[in-house]
Amino acid sequence: MYQTLLTNRYLLSRVIPLIAIAAVGLCVALVIVVVSVMTGFLDMVQSAGKTLMGDVIVTYGVSGIPHYEILVDKLEENPEVTAATPIVDGWGLLRMPYPDTRAKQSETVQVWGIDPVSFTKVTGFNDSLHWKSPSKQQLDWLLFDAVSANASALLETMSEEKQQLLIDTVEGAGSTMNYQFTDLWSAMQEQLSDEQWNLINAYDERLQHPEKLLGQGLALTRSGKAGIVAGLHVSDGNERQQDGSYSVVRNDYWWLPRYEGTLTMLPIASDGGLIEPESIIMPFTNEFQSGVFLIDSSRIFVPIETAQQLLHLDAAELVDVDDPTIIVGIDPARATSVLMRGAQGVTAEELQQIAVKIYDEFRESLRGTTNVLPPSRSDPSLSIHTWREQQKSFTGPVEKERELMRTLFSIIYLVVAALILSIFWAIVFEKTRDIGILRSLGASRAGIVWIFLRYGGIIGVLGSLLGLLLGWLVTKNINEIHSAMGSPPIAIAIVAFIISLASLWVAVVRGRRGEILPIVVGLLSVITFGGIGGLVLFVRQQGGIVIWDASVYYFSIIPNNVDWPSASATLIGAVLFCLLGAVIPAAKAADTDPVKALRHE
Amino acid sequence: MNSTPLLQGINLHKTYHLGKTKVPVLHGATLDIQQGDWVTVLGSSGCGKSTLLHLLGGLDRPDQHGGEVLFQGESVWDKSNKEINVYRNKNIGFVFQFYHLLPELSVFENVLLPAMIGGRKTNTDGARERAILLLTRFGLDHRMLHRPRELSGGELQRVAIARALVNEPEVLLADEPTGNLDESTGDEILDVLQGLHQDGLTIVMVTHEQQIANRGTKMIHLRNGVV
Repeated sequence: MYQTLLTNRYLLSRVIPLIAIAAVGLCVALVIVVVSVMTGFLDMVQSAGKTLMGDVIVTYGVSGIPHYEILVDKLEENPEVTAATPIVDGWGLLRMPYPDTRAKQSETVQVWGIDPVSFTKVTGFNDSLHWKSPSKQQLDWLLFDAVSANASALLETMSEEKQQLLIDTVEGAGSTMNYQFTDLWSAMQEQLSDEQWNLINAYDERLQHPEKLLGQGLALTRSGKAGIVAGLHVSDGNERQQDGSYSVVRNDYWWLPRYEGTLTMLPIASDGGLIEPESIIMPFTNEFQSGVFLIDSSRIFVPIETAQQLLHLDAAELVDVDDPTIIVGIDPARATSVLMRGAQGVTAEELQQIAVKIYDEFRESLRGTTNVLPPSRSDPSLSIHTWREQQKSFTGPVEKERELMRTLFSIIYLVVAALILSIFWAIVFEKTRDIGILRSLGASRAGIVWIFLRYGGIIGVLGSLLGLLLGWLVTKNINEIHSAMGSPPIAIAIVAFIISLASLWVAVVRGRRGEILPIVVGLLSVITFGGIGGLVLFVRQQGGIVIWDASVYYFSIIPNNVDWPSASATLIGAVLFCLLGAVIPAAKAADTDPVKALRHE
Repeated sequence: MNSTPLLQGINLHKTYHLGKTKVPVLHGATLDIQQGDWVTVLGSSGCGKSTLLHLLGGLDRPDQHGGEVLFQGESVWDKSNKEINVYRNKNIGFVFQFYHLLPELSVFENVLLPAMIGGRKTNTDGARERAILLLTRFGLDHRMLHRPRELSGGELQRVAIARALVNEPEVLLADEPTGNLDESTGDEILDVLQGLHQDGLTIVMVTHEQQIANRGTKMIHLRNGVV
């Protein structure tokens, strides 16, 4: 009972324990924020991976799985499987439409040939499409392209005066639209007849039906031609803004769905040798954003048939080795992977078992009916992996990084223990006489130990709770804090300078009385707040600082959910290390000779 | 005559060790304190008066084979640590020259502290009432919620006496209780002790002043560590 009274009084009557609580709180908050962000980051990576590839993926390297349609059907017959979809995965070179010169830029891209309908069911591809409908500016560019492409047909039916007006309008728009919005649409409406509008609309159906943009992306076709949906970061034309949104450079000039690209892929023969590269010019139909920068900067989607053709994985006739004119069978089209999504409540691991069973049945069912059997499961190139296993090479390092951070930041516990140890050492020294008094009044050694352990425990608990609150506040608002760092409010600088000047004034006034402490504290305050104000102005002048760079961390938003299991472990750790820091001084206090303690000054 | 003294020091030896140097303080001090005595121990500074008090009060241990302290006929230092703590808490009340109050606690809390240390339920077993009674008796009822730093020297020593008495000890051990006070305030404190003695309390008080020692009913001279 007396321990409670003394602990409370010691806590409330001194500044040291309050400083200790604040220090423990800051340490705990730091660990909570760092581990929460890292855990959130890992979760985002994993969940993005799952969204992009379904729950389980059957892969057979570059050769591909023949008769994959049968496998897909068999999988979809199973009630535990919601949907399955084949993909053809390969690498290629994409020639971009920019720059304006003849030498165009090329990007190395991971090409996924997909069946958009079933692919959407497995991965939510439709939600990742970035452009839902064109903006007014983008529509003007589409109109500009359509008018330019049909110029001769349009001019034919016009009077000379109107011809010149059209030419002037389109040329003028072309040269200024890069920098400002000219509303070409209104000008064209005045100048073109209904018949001419029909001609234009027939050229690009997005002009009359802007919503078709999304549909074209979903179907991977534009004007009847197979098209490309590219990752948002594949194109250098898309620039990420500070608020996380995207704008297209040069006033939407390099908006990809205006253009076509040339895709070149390297087919590989069944014996592993290279075959002549295949190229195809395809229109861009849309762009997608998965949220994972690595994927958004390198992956493109094309119709599966196109990818099969480019990689020579489409169906082909098998001919007699001695007489090539004799057709001995058909080599079926192949898919390099089959992705699937499980029904509600089915885990990826359960689905993996189901997929293994179905794959075996699928292979067995084809025995005797075809001379091209799918690979057996003993083939090392065939894998049936869960999304987690498939992503391991990507998520593994992130996981390791998190553990490294957790370990490094756990050193903070030692800082906490050392801090408490030094504070308690000082407190025990200061309280030596009190210890003697208590012993003379009959207090036991255990009773003395308990006073200081309790003291350390309370500092640990209060510090941890403060740290939890602080960590939670910072984590929850981390994106807002990051935005504010990108563009710190000028008010912060003003307030900081006012405090700085006030501190200077106090330091001067109190300093005149000959006191040293107010001068030291005042000058420190002047430097600190003056520094904050100066830093804010500097950052503003530099155009803000971006710590969380999406191109490095894959995501444009910083994870802001507190990792409660880690936070709880941090709290318990902080309290334990506070007790650890207090136990040695407490034992020292208990062993103090009461007679000597009573003489302590 | 009482057959068994309340408190006895038998052939007490105590040597302090200052590094490698041995400083002998008591060389076989023996004394009997009967129930109701007010024993004053007179001696010059450094003669071992305080040490004798500490040994009697169970605060310090005699040298090995350095004599015995008997309380009601039982050896104090044969007790377990826990029992010695209880002995200090229940049977002995210490009053020090420099008061030794805890600065973070109020006057009332300081007085109640031994009761709390003894594990008494202060709300129900009358300790609070006794603390209030003692403070009122010593004219400190208006100072109960004050902190020690707000009190004068005489008031502080009266609070220290009240604290020593809250557990109703058998013996009050006072170590130069007036040594830090002016003469008139010292007299006030001695009057308080006299009142307590008249109520039947056994007191052992050490002092270096003959005049103060004269206030006791029994005087012991301590010279060169021997009574």
